[in-house]
Amino acid sequence: MMIKKYKYIDHISDTGIKFYGSTVAELFESAAGGMFSIICDLRIVKPVEKKNIEIGGRNIDYEELLILWLEKLLYLYEVENMLFSKFKVAKIKKMSGKLILEAEIYGEKIDLSRHDIKAAIKAPTYHELEIKEDEIKSGWKGKVVFDV
Amino acid sequence: MRVPGIIFASKELLDHAVNEKTIDQVINVATLPGIIKASFAMPDIHYGYGFPIGGVAAFGEEDGVISPGGVGFDISCGVRILRTDLGIEDIKGRLEDIMNVLVLSIPRGVGSKGKIQLSKNQLSQLIVEGVNWAIKNGYGWEEDRFFIEERGKMEGANPDFVSSYAMDRGLNQIGTLGSGNHFLEIQVVDEVYDTRAAESMGLRKGQITIMIHSGSRGFGHQVCSDYIKIMQQASAKYGIKLPDRQLACAPLNSPESERYYGAMLCAANYAMVNRQCLAHWAREALEKYFKKSQEKLGLNMVYDVSHNMAKIEEHNINGKMKRVCVHRKGATRSYPPGHKDIPEQYKNIGQPVLIPGDMGRYSFILVGTEEAMDESFGSTCHGAGRLMSRTRAKKSIQGSELKKQLFKDKGIIIKAGSMSGLAEEAPMAYKDASLVVDIAHNAGLSKKTLRLRPLGVLKG
Repeated sequence: MMIKKYKYIDHISDTGIKFYGSTVAELFESAAGGMFSIICDLRIVKPVEKKNIEIGGRNIDYEELLILWLEKLLYLYEVENMLFSKFKVAKIKKMSGKLILEAEIYGEKIDLSRHDIKAAIKAPTYHELEIKEDEIKSGWKGKVVFDV
Repeated sequence: MRVPGIIFASKELLDHAVNEKTIDQVINVATLPGIIKASFAMPDIHYGYGFPIGGVAAFGEEDGVISPGGVGFDISCGVRILRTDLGIEDIKGRLEDIMNVLVLSIPRGVGSKGKIQLSKNQLSQLIVEGVNWAIKNGYGWEEDRFFIEERGKMEGANPDFVSSYAMDRGLNQIGTLGSGNHFLEIQVVDEVYDTRAAESMGLRKGQITIMIHSGSRGFGHQVCSDYIKIMQQASAKYGIKLPDRQLACAPLNSPESERYYGAMLCAANYAMVNRQCLAHWAREALEKYFKKSQEKLGLNMVYDVSHNMAKIEEHNINGKMKRVCVHRKGATRSYPPGHKDIPEQYKNIGQPVLIPGDMGRYSFILVGTEEAMDESFGSTCHGAGRLMSRTRAKKSIQGSELKKQLFKDKGIIIKAGSMSGLAEEAPMAYKDASLVVDIAHNAGLSKKTLRLRPLGVLKG
């Protein structure tokens, strides 16, 4: 059972989320959960199929890595016709100038008889995109707006 | 700011629908290099990301930029209208059955399988040939292409500049409606303001029409995502200071721009083919239901416009014709009578401008004007514009309740894939399209031709 670590932001034309984590890895897990919760009620998505993900890039920051991560998940959602409800980010590391994320994600094939697809997300945007340390709660927090 | 910001609005709209943050977005666009004349916002302006929705900006070929964020993720999202020879009396008591046939004929998108499965080679052809590909493969009539902006094919589309991710996302989504504000509606011509223009479009009061609103699906979304990332680096490389990262851009004469433009045109072709296929299946559905051929039912194209695009166009800049890159993000072209880029049939009246409204009130057809060419690089509004966030709309009404209410009060039949998605699109979440259209009309950006009323609505 995933603990809810995100909340929705009211944006007039689109939908955004604020998300939290005690580590950067956890922060990325919360963002993924927040994004898929816009698409479908995660309580009805069974984490029965596992996929391994590795993404990264040169000269990028956490914000850009977050965009790559969310885009990759949307890509799998559309191309593999899958919903995901459990995200385990194993590591986020810097290696010879590259920022890399490795994760395991869990979900199942879309079954329209069970899954109500509430909204389609076109993409995460850079608009008001933010990841920073939350000094008060000694953790991390972030913000992203989606084009829906 | 390099140029002024100009917002076309009424006092009422400015007071109620345009907040400071939205105006900031108009200002941000005005800081981009090579912007000409002004950063414009059409009367349906609302808060977006990077550019405002309803934003129009033109950039000089030599010193200007192109910005994927100024086009948006749904590249070439647009509207198409088909006419019919049916009158409202012909569908009385039969609308529910017609809508049920349409539900079975129109693929909605993710989770449901598209009717066309393409190979990568076929997709590469499709995104170069545009609507010609569709017609060649039996999706539509030969003459359809003449009633689409750019005749359904953007020249210069280059698949070499499209990522494998975008190709993958495009393979099984062609001919799917998508969700959000996309729809297919059965409408009736409810009021005619300009009989001559309406007649040129083959339209009269009481006549049934079909409106389709959809875009370039996952293919276009991925093209935009890919190039916003590339443009982040390019902006830094070319020393362009950005007030908002979503405005990332590159000089028009740079390799980054050339690649984006070539890929973006592929997405535009994809979007036009998407609407072409949807229209084809709508025609087939009506043919099946009425047991009459598409031709006998008079299912001709009225027109097809794109309202999320950047195009290289010729405009009069201080008395000289110059090539400029016009970004329209949630804005429609509005070319005047006599313009070389509009179909022969509309040469005397101007280009049809198709404005979808919300599902409970009205949509409109307008025509392009000379004033739009002089004032706003031949641009006008594109829709009603949101008034309420999706979250607020959902809190205000439930989808099932809304569906019942629209049927009880207005006799409108709604078919929707998701009830929660439907609530987000509630009429009260939008401005009244007639307010927006009146401003565009009074400002001379386009001229009202007729009003359409929804009867049956199919949502993804």
